[in-house]
Amino acid sequence: MAFYKDNYDVIVIGGALAGMSCAMRLASEGKSVLVLERHNLPGGVATSFVRGGIEMEATLHEMMSLGPIEDPLYIRKYLDEMKVAIDWLRVPEAYDLYSPKDNIDIELHAGRRDDGTWVCADEIDAQYPGTKAEVNRLLELCLKVYESTLYLNEHTLSKLQMLLKHEELVKTAGYSAKEVLDQAFDLPENVKKILSAYWIYVGQPLSTLPFTIYAFLMADYMKGGSFVARGFSHEMALAMQKRAEEMGVQYEYCQNVEKILVKDGHVYGVRTSRGDEIHARYVASAPYPNTVYGTMIEPQSEVPAQARKYANAMPMSVTTFSVVMLLDRKPEDLNIHSYSVFSSEVPFDTDVFWAEGRKHDGWSYVTTICLNYANPGCTPEGMTSLSITNLPLPEAFDDVNADNYYEMKRSIAKQMIEQVSAHLGVNLLDHIVEIEIESPMTVARYTGMYRGGIYGYQHSMDNSVVGRLEDIEKEQYIKGLVGCASHQLVGDGMACNINNGRIASKIILEEMAKEAAV
Amino acid sequence: MKVYGFLKDVLGANRVTSARRKLIESGSPENIYKDHIKEVANELHPKVTHVVVTKAEDVSPTARRFTFEACEGDKLPPFQAGQYCSLDLRIGETITTRPYSISSAPFEARTGEHPLFQLTVRNGKPDTGFASNWLYANVKEGDTFTAHLPFGEFYYEPLRDAKNVVALAGGSGITPFYSMAKEIEHGTLDMNLTILYGSVSTKDIILEKQLKAIQSDKVKFVNVISGEEDYEGEKGFLSRDLIKKYSNGDTTYFVCGPLPMYHFVKGELDALNVPARRIRMEVFGAPRDVTAAEGYPKDFEPKKFRLTVLRGIQEDVIEADSTEPIMVALERAGIKNNSRCRSGACGFCRTELLEGDVFVAPEGDGRRRADKQFGYIHACSTWPLSDCTIRIPIL
Repeated sequence: MAFYKDNYDVIVIGGALAGMSCAMRLASEGKSVLVLERHNLPGGVATSFVRGGIEMEATLHEMMSLGPIEDPLYIRKYLDEMKVAIDWLRVPEAYDLYSPKDNIDIELHAGRRDDGTWVCADEIDAQYPGTKAEVNRLLELCLKVYESTLYLNEHTLSKLQMLLKHEELVKTAGYSAKEVLDQAFDLPENVKKILSAYWIYVGQPLSTLPFTIYAFLMADYMKGGSFVARGFSHEMALAMQKRAEEMGVQYEYCQNVEKILVKDGHVYGVRTSRGDEIHARYVASAPYPNTVYGTMIEPQSEVPAQARKYANAMPMSVTTFSVVMLLDRKPEDLNIHSYSVFSSEVPFDTDVFWAEGRKHDGWSYVTTICLNYANPGCTPEGMTSLSITNLPLPEAFDDVNADNYYEMKRSIAKQMIEQVSAHLGVNLLDHIVEIEIESPMTVARYTGMYRGGIYGYQHSMDNSVVGRLEDIEKEQYIKGLVGCASHQLVGDGMACNINNGRIASKIILEEMAKEAAV
Repeated sequence: MKVYGFLKDVLGANRVTSARRKLIESGSPENIYKDHIKEVANELHPKVTHVVVTKAEDVSPTARRFTFEACEGDKLPPFQAGQYCSLDLRIGETITTRPYSISSAPFEARTGEHPLFQLTVRNGKPDTGFASNWLYANVKEGDTFTAHLPFGEFYYEPLRDAKNVVALAGGSGITPFYSMAKEIEHGTLDMNLTILYGSVSTKDIILEKQLKAIQSDKVKFVNVISGEEDYEGEKGFLSRDLIKKYSNGDTTYFVCGPLPMYHFVKGELDALNVPARRIRMEVFGAPRDVTAAEGYPKDFEPKKFRLTVLRGIQEDVIEADSTEPIMVALERAGIKNNSRCRSGACGFCRTELLEGDVFVAPEGDGRRRADKQFGYIHACSTWPLSDCTIRIPIL
């Protein structure tokens, strides 16, 4: 009688998108893989919940890097290769930005034409005449950087080849998005603001966000658009889990991994809260390095000082605060006309928004998502599924404890609802059928993630993806142990996490090959 | 293409790489791990709470109230009035769980020298209330339990609900409202509560003395008796006229009681044109007689089936009775599976159905769309109609 095999090639801690992506790739190479997920659902935060018989998306979730079927981007290609079938629905617009203090009220759409012009450049030009050429030039630069980044995801090149073949990536790698926008482009301030609205999807202000990441985000979203699963994020997660299982992966719910077992600098297994000791020479870990080195490695003497320095120095990125509501009118009756609205109460300034995220006494920049416009069948007729989200830093919640928690949650939520209500001219508080308020504590409860982090470490200029890539090998501090979540190379987001998982599997396969050769 | 100039531009990658190395070198080599957010999350939602019974007292001729305190090393989490606690139980060979609305007030769990919570359990008829009857008869001071709390969405939400609340209670469904009433009295819950408590006879009233003691301008308590002609007070059922009489302007209705009461009260509220968002229903348990449930196959003869249970690479075969939920088959066989609400809503008993035909109770089916599509069931509210194979977590 046993629940587990004596030995696995790889144990994956965490059955969210990165973990499942990693597991699928390893299984496709014939490896035996065990995924241990602490919750009884797959997908981590990429999930949904049901209230009063009606399903709601856990927060704002959209999948980038898919692109249309006829022109697939890299994540669609990967999911196709792994034979994961998901019923994707295309999100109608890229976004609306509403910033009344700047007189900004604009809706942009994704799309690039073969002649190198972009749909959103025309939309911006309609309000800011004469900017079309520069916006097109910016997006073409972003696209070049994007394509180079994807190339380097698969290949290694010398510095000279890099400069010759990926000039745009090389020449912008040392600058923030703000520097490149200010120095290399002649654009009115408002147009720069409009083109900065996506900052929230990486949680980094433009002044410290590497242009590489900015370019990746802009090109990907503006070329391929974004998508949601008809059966909510849970459909996506479950489709991946089922496919992984078909490929031979053993996927277990309700298994909290407490310890990662290490001997002589090499991983040899894990121990769960239930007390099972399970053996594998490779472990892919969704828990943050902070948790892994701080509490999970057994014995602790196996944690190199350099690993601690790394984890302690890494700047923590944002977490989430979301108000998810079901409303008793259809969207048009609530004056809601778009899927995705970014709005600001103050003149648009990502440094200001970022600073506000260190506290919880008012956030000027919120994202309002009306799922009905992307997925019309998501609610019964005559109702609206709406979420309002801000991405503050974990330290904003330093003063919150178990006794003031519910009060804190409600007071923040109320402020956010009133903010959006004022824009709409409709008091949403009069229409709530169901409401759930999600905080970093909610994330910590369900996923166990360090400080409720959803975005990994900051994509800052001193933690740039270019620097991460350069040092990726020497940051494998314990042999056989590989990070596999948004704290890894490409950072946050559902598509990025599928990629993080793929990268983790690649590192593991290379290590396995090396060890086999010895 | 240039940003500042060729040399500065091409050296950018080196600059960011060395900035990052410098950042990492600045990190402490000590173990300084601390996670405030996780600590708060764990205090709010402990995986389990070990509790001990400190008092058992009768609160009606048919109901007993148990007071629990945390065992040494554990701490009671905060909860919101109306939420429930799930107790792990071992009754004979059966392992099971039962949810009970917490009848004490939230402040009592977090303040004072002896933080506590209370569950009030009714002694049902011999053939019903298997676990409640057992608790009623057997639990005494000093007994310890593994408890899971807080759960449930049956609480006053000021962002959603009207300030005026009318509670429509039946039987042991009074317990969450006593919790609310007490929290209002304590000054830590701001709402106006009128409790209409339907009972057949005055003997069935639970917590009457306690409820009467905390009436105020914010808490009103009205008994509604259906089976005593000479009762001096409100008589009959929780009818639309009665509901109307005790409603005051914009009102939210909280309903908690046995299943037949839900159907009746829902009809009365609909007749009063109460909008859906002003009606909050507590979950009501799985139907006792599934054959009477809407959609159950006609003339399906009760049968015993083979239930193959997969956990990891292990396989067990047990017996499952078509008249009992799959969850109960597991529990009779002593196989642990998570369960909380036992009404199909919460999803803790989410289970993969690999083979076989089943019947899912339509009322309270809280499954996600993709779960239906991929063959997942909530075992507490799913009945076998053939031999089945399921996969459950290793617990």
